Amino acid sequence: MKTIKKKHLFAQLLFSTFGALLFSQTLIGCGNTAPSSRSALTAEQFSRSRWDAVIEQANGGEINFAMWSGDEARNRYYQNTVAAKVKQQYGVTLRFLPTNDVADIVNKLLNEKGAGKTSGGTIDLVWINGENFRTAKQGGVLWGPFAEALPNIKHFAEDARQRDFGTLVEGYEAPYQRAQFVIAYDTARAPDPPRSIEKLREWIKTHPGRFTYLAPPDFTGSAFIRHILLFYLKRDSTGGAFDGKFDEQRYQRAAAATVAYLNEIKPHLWRKGETYPTSPKEADRLFANSEIDFTMSYGPSFASEHIARGEYPPTTRTFVFGEGTIGNYSYLAVPFNASNPAGALVVINHLMSPPHSLDQGRALGSLFPLLPDGLTTEERAAVVALPLGPATLPAAELAKHQLSEPDAQYLERLEKDWREKVLKQ
Amino acid sequence: MKNPTPTKVLEALAIIAITGLTATPLALLAARSLAQSWYWPSLTPQVWSVRAWKYVFSPTADVLPALATSLSVAMVVTLFAVIVALPAARVLAWEEFRAKRAVIFALLLPVLTPPLAATMGVHALFLRYGLTDTLIGVALSHLTLTVPYATLMLTGSFSRLDPDYEAQARTLGAKTIDVWRSVTFPAIAPGLAVAASFAFLISWSQYLTTLLIGGARIVTLPLTLVAFQWGRR
Amino acid sequence: MLLNFTVRRWLMLAPALAVIGVLFAGGLALAAAQSLGYFAPTGENALTLRHYVSLVDDREIYASLWLTLKLATAATMISAVAGSALALGLREVARRSRTINLLLQIPLSVPHLAMAGALITVIAPSGLLARGAYALGFIQQPADFPAFINDRYGAGIVLSYVLKEAPFIALMTLALLARLGDEYEQAARVLGASAWQRFRHVTLPLVAPAVVSSSLMVFAFIFGAFEVPFILGRPFPAMLSVVAQQRYLDVNLAVRPGAIALAVVSALVTAALAWAYMRLTRALIGLERPFVL
Repeated sequence: MKTIKKKHLFAQLLFSTFGALLFSQTLIGCGNTAPSSRSALTAEQFSRSRWDAVIEQANGGEINFAMWSGDEARNRYYQNTVAAKVKQQYGVTLRFLPTNDVADIVNKLLNEKGAGKTSGGTIDLVWINGENFRTAKQGGVLWGPFAEALPNIKHFAEDARQRDFGTLVEGYEAPYQRAQFVIAYDTARAPDPPRSIEKLREWIKTHPGRFTYLAPPDFTGSAFIRHILLFYLKRDSTGGAFDGKFDEQRYQRAAAATVAYLNEIKPHLWRKGETYPTSPKEADRLFANSEIDFTMSYGPSFASEHIARGEYPPTTRTFVFGEGTIGNYSYLAVPFNASNPAGALVVINHLMSPPHSLDQGRALGSLFPLLPDGLTTEERAAVVALPLGPATLPAAELAKHQLSEPDAQYLERLEKDWREKVLKQ
Repeated sequence: MKNPTPTKVLEALAIIAITGLTATPLALLAARSLAQSWYWPSLTPQVWSVRAWKYVFSPTADVLPALATSLSVAMVVTLFAVIVALPAARVLAWEEFRAKRAVIFALLLPVLTPPLAATMGVHALFLRYGLTDTLIGVALSHLTLTVPYATLMLTGSFSRLDPDYEAQARTLGAKTIDVWRSVTFPAIAPGLAVAASFAFLISWSQYLTTLLIGGARIVTLPLTLVAFQWGRR
Repeated sequence: MLLNFTVRRWLMLAPALAVIGVLFAGGLALAAAQSLGYFAPTGENALTLRHYVSLVDDREIYASLWLTLKLATAATMISAVAGSALALGLREVARRSRTINLLLQIPLSVPHLAMAGALITVIAPSGLLARGAYALGFIQQPADFPAFINDRYGAGIVLSYVLKEAPFIALMTLALLARLGDEYEQAARVLGASAWQRFRHVTLPLVAPAVVSSSLMVFAFIFGAFEVPFILGRPFPAMLSVVAQQRYLDVNLAVRPGAIALAVVSALVTAALAWAYMRLTRALIGLERPFVL
């Protein structure tokens, strides 16, 4: 009898603790759900406002930023340095929502729009680009237009402001970071890497099992096959020079050549091309563990960062194709139901500023995204003096070999064709 | 009477298996978290470092707040799930009725359905009723998965308890609350503990549901970790 | 009791059924409606069966379905055998100490992705086993090591699930064994049955309900899971839920209702298989109510 009493006393204690916690959490939970009481700035109001009025409205507010959080160094930099700066300069509190894939966020917004939740949204700022931007814009889940009215927009190149992967931006997102596709290799294992697409084909055949690419729809894998498509699109002189716009006939011809290329190298790939890695982490693992000799990324400093963290061998370097590699921009956008658009705009403008870009370049090795024209002499000197990691190519070298993204329709069609004609064979 | 040999062998194998099964993944995960560089062909990490742990517990990673949130949500869910499951399990274990098969099937439905479809649908539903971005909303969304498991496990516990004990206690004059405290609860306590811990674990490890329903306000541990582990842009 | 038995019964079932009915079924109905053409993200809102019809012609679906069936069945069967063996082996020990139950719960609390990650560390072509083989001079490079992950047979996926689900089945079975005690087997021994006869005619039917019902849950879970198959499997053929997930997240919103249709079909297949499995075990072991835990 005694043992039962003790047992049930303990259980009662446990349950009452649960109950107390439940009660308190309900209270706290209720407290947390109250959105900011100030009314959210509308796009229409913004178009009529002066910038300092926006800054004033943002002061004292809080914004939630859905930023890809898979990188420690980046998280640390943003949560400490950037947040402090923004708080000090504008009085805005910057909070972060850990995000794995911006597609999840876009989905959430689409669902919210479908259910009529047009205000009081929990996300104020999104880091976005490419197909996700297209989906979001088509789904009508972005606030705006706003980008062309931001003071710092003048620092960005025209083509970045006009189109994102061929989709018209129309002011619904603001350019913010630049990236360029680079290929990493280990000088200890492959001292003389193939620096063109045709040389790559030869190299793969003479080194069976040492190369692979990520399976689309992964971002990087999709970029790799796009390079091959672009290669054939530009060589195709029928109908004049290639201008980046989508053309069915051009696509058919180039795609046929691309598919032929990919199928030709397939049996000589890692695992005989029967499977492909599906995430960058997996490709990193294969590269670091000597299963493959090359890996790729859109971040020019990615290899240096990996070396610094001990994840890649210190003999790793990067290169770009002689024909050039694709460069693109990533953007910042505001969800249609953001609670604090004014705060978001202020932060966006700050992240587009020369001081921030320089600082981020120093802290994270990010490629400097701004045009030199709008910079002061000191700023221009600072850009030149930005430190490069051991495996990072200098900005001038990258710029010399930069290609623009072709229309997003090429990407979609190619991904489908890759699945049907290369993967499933 | 001595145990026959085959049983002894099986027992030894089972003990080895279970110790291996519990120790090895944990040891590997611990090693990986402490290894800065550990690549081919080295059998042990080339470079050890506590950097990952330092980061996890630094304020930047937001791990401790996320841990606290995960804990609160999971506890709320466990409590709700058990309260809901107890009466249902009692009926399923002790009573026979025509619709019983259908009820069991209905309860199994959330377990059988691929989580994707249900999650998206639940999100749309919660949006309409303003349950998103709240702790209660997240807790409710976890209930759809925990209630079935808890009910089924508790049904097992109840089915091994003879309803006669309760009847006897009542005949002897005990009030319902005393019957619960002295007869029912002690008998099902082990099963209850297992059911509760299961509900807790399920709630603890939810990612997609919490992301959709919880939004930016409710950040739990899997969200922080997933963003880390399998980062892809 | 003032309330009659039937009313009381349904009152007690009500909370659980309300949770399922309102929270879950409501959500599922909304999703299913999308697969039937309503509330389409592209704006349409009318009944149509074309999303289901389009699945029929899709070659990829059949390959995925076949793969999913094979892997889920293999993983479940191996887990069931291993789990029951584990439970039977640990029976005596469990009687003496509570720690066994605790130990069994540890693999359960390791998230599936973490288990997959630990597995990769060990059996990948550049994993610990391969490095051991290299140190012993058996292989020269990772490519020489046999492929256990991202392979044709889905070995890695099966292994990952077995490592997590066998303890689950063992736990459920042990719970049942603890309550049953060994009176039945003692009685059989006294009556002259051999060890094998006791096992086949007494022990096995006694543990069958726990093994069957937990196996069903394991099967359903594996059938619908996608994170582990995504990491440890191949891009093609991929398991059904991976395909559904990828289609759901496709940038082309028009693909989404088709993905939901796939998920619905997948759920129906699981339910049908579960039903068939239940009938089969009832016939084989001759149980009255195979699903009572």
